Amino acid sequence: MSLLDALRHPAFSVAFTVLAYALALLLHRRWRWVSPIVAACIPIVALLLAARIPYAEYNRGGNSLTWWLGPATVALAVPMHRNGQRLRRSLPRLLLVVVAGAVVGMATAGGAAWMLGAPVSVVMSAVPKSVTTPIAVEVARELGGLPQITVALVILAGVLGATFGTAILALFRVREDRAVGVAIGSASHGIGTASLVRRSEMQAAVSSWAMAASGVVTSLLAAALAFFLHLARH
Amino acid sequence: MLDLARGLAFLVGFFFIGNGLHRLGVPIPGGVLGLLLLSGALNLGLVRLAWLQRAADLLLRHMVLLFVPLTVGLMEMGHVLSSQSVALIVSLLVSFVAVLLTTGLLARWLVAGLPSDAEVGE
Repeated sequence: MSLLDALRHPAFSVAFTVLAYALALLLHRRWRWVSPIVAACIPIVALLLAARIPYAEYNRGGNSLTWWLGPATVALAVPMHRNGQRLRRSLPRLLLVVVAGAVVGMATAGGAAWMLGAPVSVVMSAVPKSVTTPIAVEVARELGGLPQITVALVILAGVLGATFGTAILALFRVREDRAVGVAIGSASHGIGTASLVRRSEMQAAVSSWAMAASGVVTSLLAAALAFFLHLARH
Repeated sequence: MLDLARGLAFLVGFFFIGNGLHRLGVPIPGGVLGLLLLSGALNLGLVRLAWLQRAADLLLRHMVLLFVPLTVGLMEMGHVLSSQSVALIVSLLVSFVAVLLTTGLLARWLVAGLPSDAEVGE
């Protein structure tokens, strides 16, 4: 087995990806502005291009990491349950807010892309862009979108929320902890939630609950959307 | 370590159940079905939060690692990214602001009269 063959082995893909991620975390710890996801992808893309390894081949190993997004989705039940218990009294109203946010998010993301002439696959990639990655990816697949495009949009929505979210909300005089939390969790999922941890425990708790709830609500709405699209086609 | 293994077994098990139901025709992703079933089990007290804590924290803390392979896949999406860049960027910005303000303003109005939950504790 030559060195190049070894590079194509699925186990190598997994090992190299974990290594790149570990390095990216170290860089992120040293310089906060380094994005872990971008820093992890750069050496991998560079290696694939340099060794002329097609993405599909890398992804035979990569897929086994992607698979764990399923159990990670299930794991969202933990913050949802933990924080949901704390919010008991406000929960029904916050759920209403999450549903409204999910409807608006799907309609505006898909609608804007559609009005600008994007093909259906791109429109459907945009529809779940507000929710946490593992759920967004599944929803994009069900709707016939491109999961890679969805991942990029989801990350950017998270970064926008983490960077400007609370400032935009403050501009509109939204400062109440539960309102800030539900807004950031709905618009910017885990990346936004992480940015609240240092600000306020209550905001982070609500945001963490909202990100899970919004993912569930979005996948239910997407199932209804897929059903109507199916009816319309026949 | 045993704690972690038990937690992962529960998460993977519920994911398999969710996937099974999805294959039988439930139009919701298997992971989300697993999440809903696990929430139900937690509410009924069939599964204890303590059994899951470590495994769930591990998966959620390192979720970025799990979507690295998909993000690397953007290298093959160059044509979509360049031809649809305007649609993608406008859709992202418009939808982000729309969601943030709808939820923020609606929540401010709806929870205005409610006492804070802070004192409820865990």
